[in-house]
Amino acid sequence: MTHFFETYGLMLGKAILVHLAYVLTSVAAATVVALVLGVLLSRVPAIARWMMPVISISQTIPGIVFIGILYLYLGMEPITAFTALAIYAVFPILKNTYAGLLGVEEKYKEAARGCGMSPRQILFKIELPLAMPTIFAGIRMSTVYTVSWAVLTAMIGLGGLGEFVYRGVSTNNSTLTITGAIPAAIMAIALGALVDWIQKKITPRGLQEVKS
Amino acid sequence: MIEYRNVSKNYGERQIVKNLNFTIEDGQFAVLIGPSGCGKTTTLKMLNRLIQSDGGEILLDGKNVNEINAEQLRQHIGYVIQQIGLFPNMTVEQNITVVPRLLKWDKARCAERVRELLALVDMDYDTYAKKYPNELSGGQQQRIGVLRALAAEPPVILMDEPFGALDPITRDSLQDEVKSLQKRLKKTIIFVTHDMNEAIKMADVILFMSDGELLQQASPEEMLRAPANDIVREFMGKHVAQGVSGQDNIPCGEIMRKNVAKVSSSWRTLECVQMMSSREIDSLVVVDENDRYLGVVTIEGIKAHGKPGMEVTKLLETTVPTVYTDTLAKEAFGTLDSTRARYLIVLDKNERPVGIITRTSMSKALAYMVWGGDAV
Ligand SMILES: Nc1ncnc2c1ncn2[C@@H]1O[C@H](COP(=O)(O)OP(=O)(O)OP(=O)(O)O)[C@@H](O)[C@H]1O
Ligand SMILES: [Mg+2]
Repeated sequence: MTHFFETYGLMLGKAILVHLAYVLTSVAAATVVALVLGVLLSRVPAIARWMMPVISISQTIPGIVFIGILYLYLGMEPITAFTALAIYAVFPILKNTYAGLLGVEEKYKEAARGCGMSPRQILFKIELPLAMPTIFAGIRMSTVYTVSWAVLTAMIGLGGLGEFVYRGVSTNNSTLTITGAIPAAIMAIALGALVDWIQKKITPRGLQEVKS
Repeated sequence: MIEYRNVSKNYGERQIVKNLNFTIEDGQFAVLIGPSGCGKTTTLKMLNRLIQSDGGEILLDGKNVNEINAEQLRQHIGYVIQQIGLFPNMTVEQNITVVPRLLKWDKARCAERVRELLALVDMDYDTYAKKYPNELSGGQQQRIGVLRALAAEPPVILMDEPFGALDPITRDSLQDEVKSLQKRLKKTIIFVTHDMNEAIKMADVILFMSDGELLQQASPEEMLRAPANDIVREFMGKHVAQGVSGQDNIPCGEIMRKNVAKVSSSWRTLECVQMMSSREIDSLVVVDENDRYLGVVTIEGIKAHGKPGMEVTKLLETTVPTVYTDTLAKEAFGTLDSTRARYLIVLDKNERPVGIITRTSMSKALAYMVWGGDAV
């Protein structure tokens, strides 16, 4: 065991950091893109009605196919992995942003208009805050998924915990596979919890479950 | 002053509002009433441009509302909706100050305004200001809804069936509160309802709409005395009777009947007679602006000394015995027997009438003791 860590310890530490970096940057970028797209789509329901199904379908293209295609265009650079992961991470957040905004009850929007808010003020003061729980559910989903999708980056030689998994699988070394899989699982759980914690911090009491 | 001149609204081929003409004076409490779907909401929302009119013009103090920036217009017209629509992500304080903040009032002024407004409806600042809407009862929520509309001191307030979703008792007290606020603050209010009792209770002037047209604009008194046509007459008859029976026999406490037929001291004789006949009672309790007990007015009194349009305060009788909510029922029954009064008025500790005890209450109380709760 000590021997194992002497050999792989440094590599594991680095793999965890790389993995984490992929996840955090791609989810962060995806959140920004998804929020902007979600808001835009919610303003034009006519377009959204056919866009959303298309987006849902493209989400089912297997990640490996997608990474492969990107690889052909962008080469073996971290940007390839980052782009692929970010694009995948957009879907759940976009879907939830759109659904969350659409789910804001008309009475709140009407009251806001009646108070003399501009469309922009209604979006930022009313619609987005009310959609926040749904949006966060999307971010959480994205984060957890991205941790596992990031395992694929190793397939094009871009590091992360996937390296252990693949080496383990290809050399039939289950210790190596597990060494990659367990930190990934822990990372998914921990990041999920982190998102929950942030959400709890920023959601006003009025939008949290009523305790009765 | 609010003026509608030949205002109309179409949806496709259908004309929803047809050449509406009317004027509402400053400080008037105007109630728009009429059957469901007759165009009341549409008429109301054209004023703050939540709905765009198709023809004619709507003047607010002589200015065509279509020439005012829609957002600025709405910031200067209070608006209360039936579904209340308090923003769930904001505290009571934040909800109340929505419009002042849009108008860039400074913090201190906003905070002071919230205190002032909460005091108006007897809600304690420290208890309620930091609460969220989901932590309030329906009645409290709509009080805040009304305060939000009042916050930036708009001269005009629009209310679209604001009490429609509330239970009868809460509705009753909110009606009283809003009416007395309107008098005190001298606001012009346009209030939509399809409950004739509510209209009679609140209105200085009632505008009766049917099928997109204005059939009659008159004081409650006059509308009751001289309905313009059969539609108005029938609607009033039906609704006065219905609304009241819904409020009858709400059991509260063990014996006291809680639905006191209260009228404010500004009421006039005909309105009272109408209310008595619709409730099948022969007297009404009269209260002052703070809801405190003044006396009663009876049908005999009105018959003997009243003239149409006379204020009820001239006919007040103060001979009915009163008791307090914490008086023992036994004592109350004793008083009923010894004074041979037909009923007693129950006051709370602030001298507000909150119930009556009749001889029927006595027999019901007896039945309750013999058969248990369901009999009451
Ligand atoms: N956006 C719309 N498109 C088409 N028709 C509409 C629209 N809004 C309202 N209507 C119709 O216009 C008529 C008047 O509606 P309005 O909401 O003003 O009635 P109302 O008197 O307020 O009714 P209620 O008492 O039920 O609230 C109704 O027949 C309604 O179906
Ligand atoms: Mg309506």
